[in-house]
Amino acid sequence: MDPSRRKTETLDAKAPAAAIVAGLKNAGIDFVATLPDEKMLELIRAVENDAALRHVPLCREEEGIGICAGAYLAGKKTAIIMQNAGFLNSCNALTTTSLQFQIPILMLIYYAGDIGDRGFATLGTVTEPVLQAMGFRTYVLRKKDEIDTTLRGAQILAEDSKRPVAVLLTKSVLGVA
Amino acid sequence: MKQRYDYLKAIAGDAGDALAVCTGWGAREWSAVRPSDGNLKTRTLGLVSSIAAGLALALPHRKVIAIDGDGAFLMNLCGLPTIALQNPGNLIHLLFDNEVYEASGGTATASHNSDAVMIAKGAGYRHATWVKTTEEFRAEFASAWNRNELTLIAAKIEPGQPKGLPPLRLDEIENKYRFMRYLESTEKKNILHPGFDSKL
Repeated sequence: MDPSRRKTETLDAKAPAAAIVAGLKNAGIDFVATLPDEKMLELIRAVENDAALRHVPLCREEEGIGICAGAYLAGKKTAIIMQNAGFLNSCNALTTTSLQFQIPILMLIYYAGDIGDRGFATLGTVTEPVLQAMGFRTYVLRKKDEIDTTLRGAQILAEDSKRPVAVLLTKSVLGVA
Repeated sequence: MKQRYDYLKAIAGDAGDALAVCTGWGAREWSAVRPSDGNLKTRTLGLVSSIAAGLALALPHRKVIAIDGDGAFLMNLCGLPTIALQNPGNLIHLLFDNEVYEASGGTATASHNSDAVMIAKGAGYRHATWVKTTEEFRAEFASAWNRNELTLIAAKIEPGQPKGLPPLRLDEIENKYRFMRYLESTEKKNILHPGFDSKL
């Protein structure tokens, strides 16, 4: 890829990243664990640079479910930002900590292998069935103007149901190619 | 060699109102020596240190104790650099290493061939040390408490526990609610979302 094109993509991703961070804060989120995907670099940078969010970078997603559970018990409103492979990594903790103790968490999951996304078709194929099997209400976010209502609504659902809720982030909403 | 119960008994009186996150049979033992609604028994093997770290980050003025075992510790090695990077000084990470998966039938873990203290130091823990006696354990616990820096204290122990310990009478949900209500009353803040009556 030529450098000028990469720069354009970075610029396009900044506004959506800011909108997602604003949506998280409007939803009351103040504690965010992350593990990067290339498509979410701007988003994670925006989380890191926001003084109102406690950012915890992870080494593996499953420990983030534990860290967020502990923070929730003490009154934090928590989110985790990860790729769908990381969601699969987290399934035991989501079952035996989040569900078993009825602990909410807002999951922002990059949808690798989504329609039109090359290289991750296997991962994309299992993502929504696994989310369904675990009973997690799931919203696929494709339009930038739906970021705020979706994040605020998903967090209300998570708090009221005391369960994880998933928002799948797509390339179109992240402003990346 | 002593059992975990002997070590837990040695510090129970020093733990004050510290929050304690436990795993496996250690949960029953800790609740016997330090009964409190500030005790939480985890159910995901390995996550005891991560859950304790989340609490410690959210309540930096409050002591948090993680009571870990070798099977759980080895399952969540990648959690250690994450904790060390955040460096919660109020977290005291205790590791009782009996070299077996005690709660799962007694099969050997890999801990007889690895060194948890070196692993923790390599992961970035400022302080990590083996202790050999309950007296040494109590002294190291007091040091960790007073210096308020992230610390792992590890002890090799004999498997097993005393007979006749009272069973834990809480399921996960009751344990969670009592723990959160205990935090609400000791922290003097509202934590649980009021739910459908949210206009109040």
